Amino acid sequence: MNRILTIVGARPQFVKAAAVSRSLKLHGIEEILVHTGQHYDANMSEVFFGEMEIPKPAYNLDIHGLNHGAMTGRMIEGIETILLNEKPEALMVFGDTNSTLAGALAASKLHIPVIHVEAGLRSFNRQMPEEINRILTDRISDILFCPTDTAIQNLENEGFRHFPVQLIKSGDVMLDAALFYAKKAAAKSTIIEDLTLKEFVLATIHRQENTDDVQKLRQLIEGLNEINRKTPVVLPLHPRTRAILQQNGIELQCRVIDPVGYFDMIRLLQQCQLVVTDSGGVQKEAFFFGKQCITLREQTEWTELVAGRFNTLVGTDKALLIKTFDEVQAIAADFSANLYGQGDASDIIARTIRNVQKQ
Amino acid sequence: MTNHTKADSFSPLVEGQGEALKKIILVCGARPNFMKIAPLMHELKNHPQLKAVLVHTGQHYDTQMSGRFFDELGIPAPNINLEVGSASHAQQTARIMTGFEKVCLDEKPDFVLVVGDVNSTAACVLVAAKLNIKTIHYEAGLRSNDRTMPEEINRLVTDSISDYFFTTSADADENLLKENVAPEKIFMVGNLMIDTLEANLAKAAGSPQVFGLINKPGRIDINGLSASGYGVMTFHRPSNVDEKASLERLVTIWGAVSQQIPLVFPIHPRTYKNIQQFGLLETITSFPNLYLIEPLGYLEFIHLVSRAKFALTDSGGIQEETTHLNIPCLTVRPNTERPVTVWEGSNKLIKIGDIEAEAAAIVRGEGKTGNNPKYWDGKTAQRIVTILETL
Repeated sequence: MNRILTIVGARPQFVKAAAVSRSLKLHGIEEILVHTGQHYDANMSEVFFGEMEIPKPAYNLDIHGLNHGAMTGRMIEGIETILLNEKPEALMVFGDTNSTLAGALAASKLHIPVIHVEAGLRSFNRQMPEEINRILTDRISDILFCPTDTAIQNLENEGFRHFPVQLIKSGDVMLDAALFYAKKAAAKSTIIEDLTLKEFVLATIHRQENTDDVQKLRQLIEGLNEINRKTPVVLPLHPRTRAILQQNGIELQCRVIDPVGYFDMIRLLQQCQLVVTDSGGVQKEAFFFGKQCITLREQTEWTELVAGRFNTLVGTDKALLIKTFDEVQAIAADFSANLYGQGDASDIIARTIRNVQKQ
Repeated sequence: MTNHTKADSFSPLVEGQGEALKKIILVCGARPNFMKIAPLMHELKNHPQLKAVLVHTGQHYDTQMSGRFFDELGIPAPNINLEVGSASHAQQTARIMTGFEKVCLDEKPDFVLVVGDVNSTAACVLVAAKLNIKTIHYEAGLRSNDRTMPEEINRLVTDSISDYFFTTSADADENLLKENVAPEKIFMVGNLMIDTLEANLAKAAGSPQVFGLINKPGRIDINGLSASGYGVMTFHRPSNVDEKASLERLVTIWGAVSQQIPLVFPIHPRTYKNIQQFGLLETITSFPNLYLIEPLGYLEFIHLVSRAKFALTDSGGIQEETTHLNIPCLTVRPNTERPVTVWEGSNKLIKIGDIEAEAAAIVRGEGKTGNNPKYWDGKTAQRIVTILETL
């Protein structure tokens, strides 16, 4: 195939898509980039695209701020129109957002093959909208690029070997991106110098199930405040979450900063002592940069991190968070384990796409 | 179970019963759904502890495709009509999702039950799953393994996220098990289409059997045909009727078959439009025993089918009705998502090139006969509602 259309909608997807875009270009594959607008994000300005060397979308559907059903519906509609216009040979989607699902649904109905990058991930918790998106997108995809052996196994358990689809272990495009940007981060970011901290814990809280539930949020912040007494905690926090804390009289004793860009994030990951997060991507990035991670969720899609003792799940239990903080520092885990490929996932993906015969 | 309020939003229908009520939204959208929803709505009337809310998405909305079926089948008027109307797949799906999300947020049901494999089926199950409402798919597990059919995509989407699966035959159970669905979530309940067929056959016998022809003056009296025998046809699938070459070939073959045995063809509007557009009207009109008539209501149609010598089709439901009636059915498709009609019933999958020979065999009395599959007995709605009470 020589011409594909890529759907992105959330900031992490831009970063991952950019890694794949660089490889597609090397293999002579034309790519039309479509932004659904799902995440409206002030950090995604001209500077973001320039600094991150991310191709600018050819289309922006500007859809955000709706309920899941309405948002997904509007995206399907918008993406269909573009697909009919552009007639690409395939559609590529990343991860597990509403944009991912909308792209896959629109293309499958038009008989356009669907390529899913980061396929096969499962948290086995269908209360999470992302899990529904993952299951559905995988089920209607034609080429599934899995980041890990676990992901391949998950799909095999769901009978995918019987289906007329290709399952390919590509490794993780996040690793490609992390390696690419790590080379540039030191020149681009001064965050460590600005913070003037030698030793710190990096914490992120953004998941709706944590930020919208005041009880959970209180537990987490109190836990982080407690850790902060031992080691300073750097916490980039969305203004919205900060407002919720204020409204509910939850006191913050951590070093709270505004949300950070990717280069700052990489340097924070490189320099921190350990990571506390409820993000999916940050769990993996912690591993890429050799840091122990405590995850503020009951499940993770990255089960191999837990199995390898690189990651510990604590949910929103304050006491468990504090106890785990003390314990994980003693774990001697071997971060050279090859869980996510060699940083050549994008190349594998681009080569595979190029070699698929046009239908 | 969700933590939505159960009893707050509506008053108990039966005073003095301590049992918690369950609220179920039933979704229908397109013609093939109505025959499946009808027996469920009738049966649910006898179970006041289950509160049914009927939502019509309006995917098929006009009198011919919708209103008439509601009247004939005695389906109560929908509680809510989303009125999405006709549009592209994507636009329709978008409108259904937006509208149905609002319904779920307002109604806070315990369950959403969807049937079949139309756009409404997939769109509504997706919305409900995102809101953590338990979802039930009736007619789960059917697979044609042909992803170029939009219905197959709808089936894959619906089954990959439903919580409970009601199936029409054992092969559907096997498909679901292969896809890692837990066996305790699957219930083989039989076929609701057969409930509707059984409930209406006697009534249908009184339906008019004289129809005006649409391509030429005159009428056809089925009573006059039934003594010598006739075949009934339905064709609407894009792969057969949307391309000139294949439709032209079909018209010629239908004409040839009609010289062996008269054919009655209630014609889908799209098929008729294509016949006109491709300049085939004159040819098809030249065959005196090929009778083109308007699409029929349910009662007229099943009466027509029940007295036919055979059916020639490319659609889904009639494969099941003929199997139950043990009437030979020739299905012009490379695959079927209802293989039990082939393995056990009187259905045969054939190629366009085989239509004439197969029809000739039926005329000679050598048509395929079969057995009625398990639980295709008119009691499927009872089974389903009994299970709903325990969920």
